[in-house]
Amino acid sequence: MSYLSLANITKQFGDTVVVDNFNLEIGKGEFVSFLGPSGCGKTTTLRMVAGFETPTSGKILLDGADITDKAPNQRNVGMIFQSYALFPNMTVAQNIGFGLKVRKEADSVTKQRVSEMISLINLEAHANKYPYQLSGGQQQRVSLARALAIRPQVLLLDEPLSALDAKIRVSLRSEIRSIQKTLGITAIFVTHDQEEALSISDRIVVMNAGEMEQVGTPFEIYNFPKTRFVANFVGSLNTADAEVVDPAKGLVSVDGVQFTSAEGTKQRNKGDKIKVAIRPERFSFATQQHKDNVVEATIENITFLGSVVRIQIKIGNTSFNMDTFNNPFLELPKIGSKQQVTCSKEAVLVLDE
Amino acid sequence: MASSKDRKVAEMKFINRLRKFPFFAWLWFLLGALYFVLPLLATFEFSLSWDPAVPFKAYQRAFEDVRFWRSFIASNVFAIITIIACIILVVPTAYWIRLRLPQARRIVEFITLMPFVVPAIILVFGLIRVYSTPFTIPFTDIVFMKPLTQFKAGTNILIVAGYMVLAMPYMYRSVDTGMRTVDILTLTEAAQSLGASWFVIITRVILPNIRSALLSGALLTFAIVVGEVILASFLGVNAFGPYLFLLGQHRAYEPAALSFVSFLLTWIAMGMIQLVTGGQNQTAGGH
Ligand SMILES: Nc1ncnc2c1ncn2[C@@H]1O[C@H](COP(=O)(O)OP(=O)(O)OP(=O)(O)O)[C@@H](O)[C@H]1O
Ligand SMILES: [Mg+2]
Repeated sequence: MSYLSLANITKQFGDTVVVDNFNLEIGKGEFVSFLGPSGCGKTTTLRMVAGFETPTSGKILLDGADITDKAPNQRNVGMIFQSYALFPNMTVAQNIGFGLKVRKEADSVTKQRVSEMISLINLEAHANKYPYQLSGGQQQRVSLARALAIRPQVLLLDEPLSALDAKIRVSLRSEIRSIQKTLGITAIFVTHDQEEALSISDRIVVMNAGEMEQVGTPFEIYNFPKTRFVANFVGSLNTADAEVVDPAKGLVSVDGVQFTSAEGTKQRNKGDKIKVAIRPERFSFATQQHKDNVVEATIENITFLGSVVRIQIKIGNTSFNMDTFNNPFLELPKIGSKQQVTCSKEAVLVLDE
Repeated sequence: MASSKDRKVAEMKFINRLRKFPFFAWLWFLLGALYFVLPLLATFEFSLSWDPAVPFKAYQRAFEDVRFWRSFIASNVFAIITIIACIILVVPTAYWIRLRLPQARRIVEFITLMPFVVPAIILVFGLIRVYSTPFTIPFTDIVFMKPLTQFKAGTNILIVAGYMVLAMPYMYRSVDTGMRTVDILTLTEAAQSLGASWFVIITRVILPNIRSALLSGALLTFAIVVGEVILASFLGVNAFGPYLFLLGQHRAYEPAALSFVSFLLTWIAMGMIQLVTGGQNQTAGGH
């Protein structure tokens, strides 16, 4: 079933372990993102798939074939770089046709494929321009077309949007995603931008210090983070120290204030110190209907963030953020006042760590 | 009020411009230019003064001499071979050092500086000493090649090798600088992932992107080889340098004419470098 498989991949540079026991199965046509902070080994993992680095141990299988030790030019893998890496001496059309020429495809095939690719990225008017005559976004589209022209088995993108400004970043990422879907190509996308990863991927691999923290759909990663790291890295999050009160009922206490967690704390014992997490948008002001997790909070601060209003509240001795959608008729509480706030049982996450 | 303020601003600007006008810089520049131009003008003037009735007599005579053409053409051929050999040696070396062996850079740079440390006269004696003994198969007395200095092709090989040493600092430095201006590493990886072999990468991606650097290295090499005297005369090769030298000892006007011509050629070459590198700036710059 799996098309690309990374099995027990470890990479060391000298004594430092940069990628540690990485295991991942990617299905055909799947779009997987590697998400993690700088230096966590995303690029290194990607470069091992491309063949620019050799794993210290482990195997990489592509469509059933072991490609672990194959040279990069023997693999059929397309690579997109942050810096575009277009050949400055070639026009757009020549850049796109380069891979086919190198593979000694017939001229008619090359020509046909190049014009196909150029219309795929909507740059018909620029076919004979040189890279320096194009904007960054256009250059990155050319580099996408160049990588796709050879019909690679896997497309690898290493922070392809980081050098672009915010607007183009958003439009190009949906363009990349739609092209990837149309062609049904398997893709790995490296980014340290969580919003990018959440919006574009079928699955996300969250990495930290060379290790996989969690693999899952954007929905799972955001709503059910397994570790404190994932919870913190993806989206904004309140974390608090807590103590298990009743493992059977999922009762925990944060500074003496009790919360019930739907996940339960059955594997724990009474009195265990744990960490819980609650996303800011899961809090709301309590009304009569609310039964679970209604607690008293002091309003500490209110920040207007555009579509969202962030309210800093204090429960016990711990500060939390609470987000509510902005609307013109919103009645905000006074700073310093005490309010009943609530969150559902499902919103209280118990972190593994 | 405003207008008097404006005038003051204008005055200040004028004074500033006067202050900024690099008077001494220009003075030194002019003195330097004179230092170069005056002898050249004198040479030119002298070359015309052989026979007032026929102003270009010295040039006619010089170009009539068949030995001039032979040596001049020979030197040009040597120059071209040297340039090609240098490119084949230097480009992959500089490329590999940038790509995989940045630690070796200092060592190689030092080696390429040899001709500044070891004078040509020492180099040529070294070459003659080493290559005037026959090649034997190691640990036997079986000779499999005559000494290089004893036949023409051998001497030609030696002199080209010597020229390569002399041209190395210019060639290596310009190629290395050329490679600094493009992102060699990423371009290489991009080409590799598209299926390119090393040969294709060097000839189709690297070379075209450093062509202006190559050209300036090549032109410098050309100038060095065509004007070189010591190697050629000690190896007994009929090159342009020794010819000009000999001519200078026996004739008055023709050498002046020829040196003026070679100066002109060099300047045209420099102009070409400027032109080509200037054009390249446009293509390489901007995003
Ligand atoms: N060739 C190398 N030699 C030694 N160490 C290296 C090499 N390449 C990468 N590293 C180290 O490996 C670690 C992971 O690097 P990597 O480039 O994979 O990080 P990354 O997740 O892509 O980070 P970023 O988001 O900054 O691009 C870093 O600590 C880096 O210093
Ligand atoms: Mg990286």
